Amino acid sequence: MSNASDLIETLATRLAPVKRLSPPLMRALLWLLLAALVLGLLAVTQGLRADLEQRMHEPLFVVGLAASLFTGILAAVSAFLVSLPDRSRLWLLLPIPALVVWVSTIGYGCLTDWVNVEAGSIRLGETAQCFATLILSSLPLSFAFLIMLRYAAVTRPATVATVGSLAVAALTATAMSLYHSIDATLMILMWTLGMTALIVTLGSLFGRRMFGWVGPRVIGPQR
Amino acid sequence: MSPDARKPSPPLTLIKGASSAAASAAVCHETKLEIAGPDRDIDWSILMARAQEGDGNAYRRLLNEITPYLRSFAARYHRDPRDIEDSMQDTLLTLHAIRHTYDPRRPFTPWLVAITRRRIIDRLRQQKRSRSREARLEPEHETFAAPETNLSETASDARALRQAVEGLPPGQREAVKLLKLEEMSLKEAARISGLTVAALKVATHRAITNLRQKLRNWSREA
Repeated sequence: MSNASDLIETLATRLAPVKRLSPPLMRALLWLLLAALVLGLLAVTQGLRADLEQRMHEPLFVVGLAASLFTGILAAVSAFLVSLPDRSRLWLLLPIPALVVWVSTIGYGCLTDWVNVEAGSIRLGETAQCFATLILSSLPLSFAFLIMLRYAAVTRPATVATVGSLAVAALTATAMSLYHSIDATLMILMWTLGMTALIVTLGSLFGRRMFGWVGPRVIGPQR
Repeated sequence: MSPDARKPSPPLTLIKGASSAAASAAVCHETKLEIAGPDRDIDWSILMARAQEGDGNAYRRLLNEITPYLRSFAARYHRDPRDIEDSMQDTLLTLHAIRHTYDPRRPFTPWLVAITRRRIIDRLRQQKRSRSREARLEPEHETFAAPETNLSETASDARALRQAVEGLPPGQREAVKLLKLEEMSLKEAARISGLTVAALKVATHRAITNLRQKLRNWSREA
């Protein structure tokens, strides 16, 4: 097949040295450091919630917070592992236990102490602040994921986008419960689970296309 | 973090005649040769590591060595030899585009098989999508949109023509039969009918005009 040998000849002649990727755990750590930086900057600008110290004594709050944080960390590790073509898809299960704990703390909270939204308790200011946190943390983190994992565009774009979005969403939710007093159960549901579902859905719907934009350009065969 | 580093991957096997048109038949045939063993994997791993450093010769050797395996792997999923060839080239291009993701401390074959499988699945999905949108071009699609152009000539057309010819005046009928139906030349027709060439021409012209009128009436009635 002369076409194939032509192609091989072209590729071998054009070959440029490449820098190997660092181990996936290392790269996940790098991304998590960036996430810590973004969330830290947000804490400085927006301030922590006033009743944080008091809430830290409530086991349910602490467990929920830790679970969402771990969901974010493990989902990020999972995304970096699964993005490599030869790693097992079973790594996708890595964030599941933390995710289950996180979702069940919210569910348990709903069952035991349903806090009604009191009239006038939804202030426009707080909602706007929540939106600001949502945008300011999820956009740069998603963008960093896209760039760092752009090679996944040709291997497992949809899967990597979904688990990556879970990481972004879980960390954003962690930030949300650290910075904003969203005590009404409905608000927690909306802001944490709703937002997570939104980000993950967007990620899985558009991930393939987004990766298509930043992914490596596979040069066309020479004819 | 490498419990799956040595996980069993589908063996790359070379199938005799995979590049021929009978590739898919060969898949079912008992001609598989287990070649991509551990030694070969280490060779490939070394070649790939050197290719990552920019060694074109190592890269050329690697690609030439893996090509038959890729082809036979693709032959398990595609029937059309062109698809097999395209899948194989897609895999080579993808391998080239993400060659920096290979870690030489890990086996080469699972990495290669994962990329190959991805490209094959993508191609199969794409084919499924385009098949659901497209219809095969059949000969009847090549005629015109008006329904009457797609009607084939029927027996009644021939009968109508025969009747119309029989209904012509004798001179005209003979001229049409000799010149048009038996496809004689003017000279031969003149010899057989005993008419002059000029008379034959006139008779034919009149006959055609008559026939045109008769058939037009017939199709209007139909």
